[in-house]
Amino acid sequence: MGIAATTSVIVVMMMVAMSRSINENRLNLICIVGIGVGLVIGNAVLALNLSWPPHNGLDRLLLVIIPTVLIVELFAGVNRFPPAAAWSLRIILSLATPRILLHDSVYLSLSDAWPAWRAITTIGVCGLGLALAWSLLSWLSRRRGGISISFALCLAIQCSGAAVMLAGYIKGGAAAIPFVATLLAVTIALRVVTKTATSRVKIEKPDHYLAAGIVGIGVVSLFGLLFVGHFFGDISQTPAITMLFAPLLCWVTEIPPLRNRRPWFVASCRLALVAIPLIIIIIAAKRDFDREMSPLLENMSSNNRTLPMSHQLSQKAI
Amino acid sequence: MMRFLPAPPQMLAFIAALFISCTPTFGADEYDYDLVHSSVSFKARHLDIGWIHGRFNDVAGKFSIDREDPSKSTFSLTIKTDSVDTANKARDKHLRQPDYFDTKQYPTIEFKTTSTKAITGGYEVTGDFTMHGTTNKITIVLMGGKEHSFKDVKRVAFSTELALKRSDYGFDKNAIGAIGDKALIMIDCEGVRK
Repeated sequence: MGIAATTSVIVVMMMVAMSRSINENRLNLICIVGIGVGLVIGNAVLALNLSWPPHNGLDRLLLVIIPTVLIVELFAGVNRFPPAAAWSLRIILSLATPRILLHDSVYLSLSDAWPAWRAITTIGVCGLGLALAWSLLSWLSRRRGGISISFALCLAIQCSGAAVMLAGYIKGGAAAIPFVATLLAVTIALRVVTKTATSRVKIEKPDHYLAAGIVGIGVVSLFGLLFVGHFFGDISQTPAITMLFAPLLCWVTEIPPLRNRRPWFVASCRLALVAIPLIIIIIAAKRDFDREMSPLLENMSSNNRTLPMSHQLSQKAI
Repeated sequence: MMRFLPAPPQMLAFIAALFISCTPTFGADEYDYDLVHSSVSFKARHLDIGWIHGRFNDVAGKFSIDREDPSKSTFSLTIKTDSVDTANKARDKHLRQPDYFDTKQYPTIEFKTTSTKAITGGYEVTGDFTMHGTTNKITIVLMGGKEHSFKDVKRVAFSTELALKRSDYGFDKNAIGAIGDKALIMIDCEGVRK
């Protein structure tokens, strides 16, 4: 998804070039706009066949939830906006996200399999899970910072996409690609800006700065992909929960023996810790895929070798 | 000792209305879809050279057949998408996912008549066909309608075939590749009435 990444970088660099002085809020705003534009272009190129009004979980994630996160993070970045109000908006959005994603589905039809108490509990628990992951990662990024948090989120999102795809939901898995591309691109662009434009960037710890918007969009997109993959696709509960909370392993580097090490060492530890559960899950997902789907694929392997992987998967499985 | 008071006129009118509303109408016969002796199956092109066959195992429906005034006859069918069966578990699992039927979002495929016309050998039925969250008006020809009584159970049977394009019902065009856009649905159903 080079085009999504390139678009995000161009937008960030253009906005930086147009700004005389860049404070923390301004930099956050630049990152959010860069991610937003990159996502629009990336999803358009990916041709995910989204519909308006949204019909399914993925439509609602990409057309309702993510734009709302962008707006919330934009508000949260405004100078005079009280942090308590910003966090209230984030918590409300976290609690509302599962309900929005499940809208009009069998889970809310009050059937015998999904009575009201089960639906309400599921929505509540998932919403609290999202709020917990969001707040803990935001806290870590404020306390210690480091772009490795963003890389860890991208790693988790990419692995979630792969797991969702291997479980048979091709389009749901493919939706991870623009998220990873834009988040990575904006994070790297942000790092370049804080390193090179030192005279214009007026923030406290430029080497450790990570925009709140990157964390917010990263956590919600990770949650959304896993939630849609679990409730509408076929990814099971344990891998979904593990992948959602895997980036929280970045907190391990806050223990005293690791806390005061050099930044590159802390970043490497974080990525290694987050990667371990994700790799285990992907290996298990690949094993399941080989066991269940391979008999279908083997019969057709010679027919579609020139097609992209996602198209091959979608066509072969049938 | 109980005393029977004369009922006021309003009460009498209410009882009369209640009685009239509870009186059965004799114009139409109501039938329930007989799952044991019916089938809803489909086939779709594969790689444009062959056909994949499948069926839906969980179907419900009702027919109301008015022999005197066929235009008052109604037909409705509800197919549970989760019951898709193509004799391959992995493929069925994939078909249930959002790339195809999206059974958690769209648990049923439904047909409900809006108008019925008697034709030679059956009925021409126009109605709303809802699949994958999209409703289109279609006209199908239901052949049959013969009745058979056995052990106090009255039966009627119909069969029809319809062709539709999956892309007309919001299926992802990117997922219409190896499997063709056009699908044929074959319905053979019996209705039962005790």
